[in-house]
Amino acid sequence: MDRDRQLDAEVQSHLEQSVRDHMDRGLSRRDAEAAARREFGNVGLVKEVTREMWGWASLERLWHDLRFGSRMLAKSPAFTLVAVLTLALGIGANAAIFSIVYGVLLRPLPFAGAERLANVYLHFAPQNNPRGNMSLMDYVDWKAQNRAFVSPGIFANGVQELTGEGEPVQVLSTHATANFFSILGVAPMLGRTFADGEDTGSSAQLAVISEDLWRRRFHSDPGVIGKVIMSSGNATTIVGVMPASFAYPRQNTDIWLCIHVAPKRRGPYAWVGIARLKPGVTFEQAQAETNTIGARIAQANPGSYSKLEMPVWKLRDAMVGNVRPALVMIFGAVGFVLLIAMANVANLILSRSTARRREMAVRLGLGATRIRIVRQLLTESVLLGLLGAGAGLLLAYACMSGFRAWNPTQLLPRVASVQLDGTVVAFTIVLSLVSSVLFGLIPALRMVDRDFQVALKEGGRSGTSSASSQRTHGVLAVAEIALSVVLVAGAGLLIRSLIAMQSVDTGVGAAPRSILSMNITATGAKYRDEKAGIAFYQRVLEQVRALPGVEAAGMSDARPPDWHEEDDTFNIQGVAWDERAYPSTVVAHVAPGYFEALRIPLLRGRYIGEQDRRDSPPVVVISQSLARRYFGNEDPLGHHLQQSQPAGNTSPRMEIVGVVGDVKYWGLDSSSQMAYYEPVSQVFTPGIFLFVRSATPAASLAPEIEHTIHGIDPDCTITTIRTLDEAIYESVAQPRFRTLLLGAFAAMALLLAAIGVYGVIAYSVAQRTQEFGIRMALGAARSDVVRLVMSRGFAIGGSGVLIGLAASLLLTRTLQRFLFGVTATDPLTFAAVALGLWSIALLACYLPARRATRVEPTVALRYE
Amino acid sequence: MPPKTRYQNRIELLQGTLDLLILQTLQWGPQHGYGITQAIRLNSGDVLSVDTGSLYPALHRLERQKLIKSDWRMSENNQRIKQYRLTPAGKKQVLSERSRWEQLSDAIGGILNPARRSEI
Repeated sequence: MDRDRQLDAEVQSHLEQSVRDHMDRGLSRRDAEAAARREFGNVGLVKEVTREMWGWASLERLWHDLRFGSRMLAKSPAFTLVAVLTLALGIGANAAIFSIVYGVLLRPLPFAGAERLANVYLHFAPQNNPRGNMSLMDYVDWKAQNRAFVSPGIFANGVQELTGEGEPVQVLSTHATANFFSILGVAPMLGRTFADGEDTGSSAQLAVISEDLWRRRFHSDPGVIGKVIMSSGNATTIVGVMPASFAYPRQNTDIWLCIHVAPKRRGPYAWVGIARLKPGVTFEQAQAETNTIGARIAQANPGSYSKLEMPVWKLRDAMVGNVRPALVMIFGAVGFVLLIAMANVANLILSRSTARRREMAVRLGLGATRIRIVRQLLTESVLLGLLGAGAGLLLAYACMSGFRAWNPTQLLPRVASVQLDGTVVAFTIVLSLVSSVLFGLIPALRMVDRDFQVALKEGGRSGTSSASSQRTHGVLAVAEIALSVVLVAGAGLLIRSLIAMQSVDTGVGAAPRSILSMNITATGAKYRDEKAGIAFYQRVLEQVRALPGVEAAGMSDARPPDWHEEDDTFNIQGVAWDERAYPSTVVAHVAPGYFEALRIPLLRGRYIGEQDRRDSPPVVVISQSLARRYFGNEDPLGHHLQQSQPAGNTSPRMEIVGVVGDVKYWGLDSSSQMAYYEPVSQVFTPGIFLFVRSATPAASLAPEIEHTIHGIDPDCTITTIRTLDEAIYESVAQPRFRTLLLGAFAAMALLLAAIGVYGVIAYSVAQRTQEFGIRMALGAARSDVVRLVMSRGFAIGGSGVLIGLAASLLLTRTLQRFLFGVTATDPLTFAAVALGLWSIALLACYLPARRATRVEPTVALRYE
Repeated sequence: MPPKTRYQNRIELLQGTLDLLILQTLQWGPQHGYGITQAIRLNSGDVLSVDTGSLYPALHRLERQKLIKSDWRMSENNQRIKQYRLTPAGKKQVLSERSRWEQLSDAIGGILNPARRSEI
């Protein structure tokens, strides 16, 4: 027999003995029973306070509440289903976004003592890039004077062509100093990493490869250690294999090559510092030290630098700093969605609570304390919340599976560490508990708030809810609309920015779909003589032009809208040099036919052509922006331009022979369109884009062109085959990703808010059926009833939109950095959002309003 | 109708007094809840009436403190009733509680009636 039943029996025997005593004194059985009950007092309350003494009472009561709560939820499955689905949407979206935010921004980096690792950059005038790269010479100077870090290292990212056995492939590579792996504190799964001093000698090139490349190309052969492979034409010995968990500096780096630090000059600027703080040294101290070193380097090399600092970044900030604002914004947005879902569920519970008011009044009447009832109701909310969390986690799991399949390594750093793991589950459960208390508290407090006697009387007559309860419904609906206005306004601004960005004129006259581009390389021993490389490009162009369907073909190492291999300063003969007057500018190396293929208009002079040979006088073609800025109305033709600043410059003076239209190379949202073009025959680059214009869909030409190129050189790697419209599409992948996410959440918010408003109005119509019946019986027209219902919709929709607009004005400012071609308070967007949401709110009211007019007065009056 | 305020003793007993009364009553032998209320009422000449809302929590608390223990038996009219008896610890507790009560009662008596004090 459990304790509850024992207590029942004990009370029962007490009562019966009391009855017998009273009967002994001469009372009738009935009177005796009444007297015994009167003497005993409130049975329920006595049991309740006695149970309190049991010690474990609170846990048992929780169990009791849980069982009771589940029964209540099971009794109204429709309510439970709607509430759980709503919560699953809100909680699931939060869990999914949290797993991304946690994986990318918060999860500890997979390096020992990662919080003491730093990237070090070079910020110097005239380049003026706050996260600029350093040259090997700067590294040597820094290392010699360094005291803050344990032996600093450097690395640079690039690509390598692996040739020899198997298909030639291009892989992502990193060149690094020998201490690269020991700084990060990582160990290989096979072989070894580089040993100290291996970056100073002149031994053959050493490489560590990724687990992925090891499996892909070497079939997981443990004998790969010591193997010599051809990497971009250099004999390279593999000394180790890194485990799959190691993905630095890029997520898909396949090969790490040990460099030889033997600089002869300052440049090229390709290197990023990586270093570990010595114990006891802070980032601030390290920063102060590197800046001092930078100042000394600048002083010693006035020809190269007019000012030099060496910014120290925490490794995590360097890795994820650029995606943090967008992720935080999305995390905030998804929080709004949850708030709306919570308001919806609170409204649902509130509606149901009217039906349960009698139950509550009776329980209060029987002596249950308010706290006790609130606790019971909260237990029910928590049950709902946990069910919602369970369903939400399933939803998040589905989202995460999609995310992993998509694997957007181009969009997000640290994609591999995005997982639905214990941390995410814990977050989800805590979130669901907190939110269920929040959405449960409002209806629970409302239910015990009013005088239960009034409720008993009121409830006894009809189910009409009180005015204050209607007010709570209204406030929640207004809040939902206001929250969705903010989300929809934000999404609207991002969508407008995306549209504005995609309709930017790239400067390419040809239809982007008609242009096919691909990256081809001329590396390795056979192209060590640049003449061979130039000849290779020429043969490719000749043979490709001869293919059927090809209208025009050309080459350039820059591809609109966001790809350029090189930018540098320059100087124009006769115009005074000043680092501020000559910002870093795109330098493209083009083969004849590039401008013609892309239909980049010729404004003055001539294009680069076949006549510009290796041995002919150096020439350059400049963009319109550059011409306008430095020559105004003067004719730039015949002037001379020289790459880099004048001091210590050995690059040739090039005659300006043409001016062409502006082209976007820095991204669609860039403002600078200055560029100059050098003939690749005079300044050779070993990798270049082939551009082909075609009247037929250009993409279909790709296999034949590849075949043609491999016919000329079977070792040539061909990568990033894109039509120009694909390249444009990819260049806005980041903004599209965040726009898509915010748009999806705004749509969710809109849907939930519309359902919320509909629910509130439909509920109030149902509650007022009797009233409408009376009104119509007394002669009110149907339109009067519609007006009555709609006026509430107007009020809710209007206040929601107004509050939402005010909040948006404050909040969309945080979107500023994501906007392009539109202000954060764009009146058109705001007006459209306000109108749209108000219309949706009114529509959500109109449906129940119509139902109200169909009420038959006689039926309504008989109602209850 | 039921009280809106929480339950209160009608005659305010000092904290711990009810425990002493229960333990004292059980000294005469095992007793059930109803019997205890009756005994206290009778022995106080109808002055003290113990409310069930105080009695049962007190009984269950004392049982948890292992000062009393309970068992079920059948009454004369063949009814299951739960009766309480003192444990050895309970017996000791009665003695110490009684002497504390007597001290207290003397002290209060002395304050209320200073003359008696000088007589001693």
